[in-house]
Amino acid sequence: MTLIMIAYYLIAAFLAALLAWNFVRERKSRDDLILYLLVLVPLVMRLLRVK
Amino acid sequence: MTHDRVWKFGLAGLFVAFLFWGGRPLYEHRHFDIPVVKGPGVTEVRRLSVYSPGLKGTMADTNVFVLQGRERGGKALLLGDTHANEPEGLLACLLVIENAVVEKGTLYVIPFFNNSASRNTRPGDGYPLYFEIPTDWGSARFRMGNRDASPLDQWPDPDVYIHYPEKQMLSFIDVRNVNRTWPGRPDGPLMERVTYGAMEIMRREHVDVAVDMHGAETMFPVTNCIVAPEKSVKIATLAALTVKAVQGFDNHVEPSPSGFRGLSHREIGDYSDTLPFLLEAPIPFLDQPTGPKTPRFLLDGKDPFLLSLAGKKKLFVPYDASGWSMEKRVGQHCSVTLEILKQFGKKNPDRPVVIRNMPRYAEITASGLGRYFADPSGAEEAKVVHN
Repeated sequence: MTLIMIAYYLIAAFLAALLAWNFVRERKSRDDLILYLLVLVPLVMRLLRVK
Repeated sequence: MTHDRVWKFGLAGLFVAFLFWGGRPLYEHRHFDIPVVKGPGVTEVRRLSVYSPGLKGTMADTNVFVLQGRERGGKALLLGDTHANEPEGLLACLLVIENAVVEKGTLYVIPFFNNSASRNTRPGDGYPLYFEIPTDWGSARFRMGNRDASPLDQWPDPDVYIHYPEKQMLSFIDVRNVNRTWPGRPDGPLMERVTYGAMEIMRREHVDVAVDMHGAETMFPVTNCIVAPEKSVKIATLAALTVKAVQGFDNHVEPSPSGFRGLSHREIGDYSDTLPFLLEAPIPFLDQPTGPKTPRFLLDGKDPFLLSLAGKKKLFVPYDASGWSMEKRVGQHCSVTLEILKQFGKKNPDRPVVIRNMPRYAEITASGLGRYFADPSGAEEAKVVHN
């Protein structure tokens, strides 16, 4: 795996963690909760090396 | 538990279920291995990483089946799944592996040339993940892949792919397309390492003829043809004329453009002594204005929208209600390949490649593909190679 690929996975993990944190912290908007999860889908799929 | 928490847990549970439901078939497809039964002609199976060490341990590494003849002669390399969404090349290669007996010369066959792409898919276009060929012993199941390697194996894409070594600027996506990365280099992007491996086979083993088998849309002008550069065009023309006269199907010759870089029919000829040929069979499944992309449509090539367009003369091949079946496409590839080898042998009597026990167009279209595939569950374990 090349360095740039590793960096990409680290970035994906960082963004996924940010989204998960925002999901946990969100208290008002249900729309935002759903949006956080939708944005998480490709990041988690990539981290799990599914697609 | 507060109302908000119930909402969050519910949503998170739905998210995990959705990921599992959507991701599991993709994961299984990527890790699904196709059993291939070594036929009577297979003498050795190597890995492409033997020729291109940069592939070792990656999803792009793939099997090279060697069929060495009883007598010395010429050598040929056959490639399938260069584009893994054009499975007629793959099936033609597997027919060779499972059936052919080489009397003179040597064949090198790489059925899953872009192994990474064969484990990728195009869900946005509604591609099926698998297709099945009916046989006497059940169904032979194959992965339906994509045109380009999986981004899981080669990433990121550049803004523009600068071809090596010609420096021509190509589309960014072509960095994952092994029919744009010829002749490749040992330490380039993964797909360049794949084509470098094939170039090394041709250079080290002194391969005379390379045949790269594809499918092309019926609405694309370069279809139902043999693409050949200047050095191969005489043999291609003789092969096209012979299959027309003897076997009754058209397969015209298209010249390989010298200004379009990275393609097998251009770079193999320019960077080795091998004569390259690229075969295109019409595959209606790849056309855009069609009905659903079902496995059945992939196999029978029947589509009412294409039929309507054929009536308006918008297609580049004859098309009627009988469609353009997989049997026709694979049969064409087998017949044209055998004819190219025969014509090469006539021009080079000291380096013939003589093959027997291979079905041609007439037999395949008459009896179907299934009868030429062996049952892997009934074969000795040592005879089965997983791909």
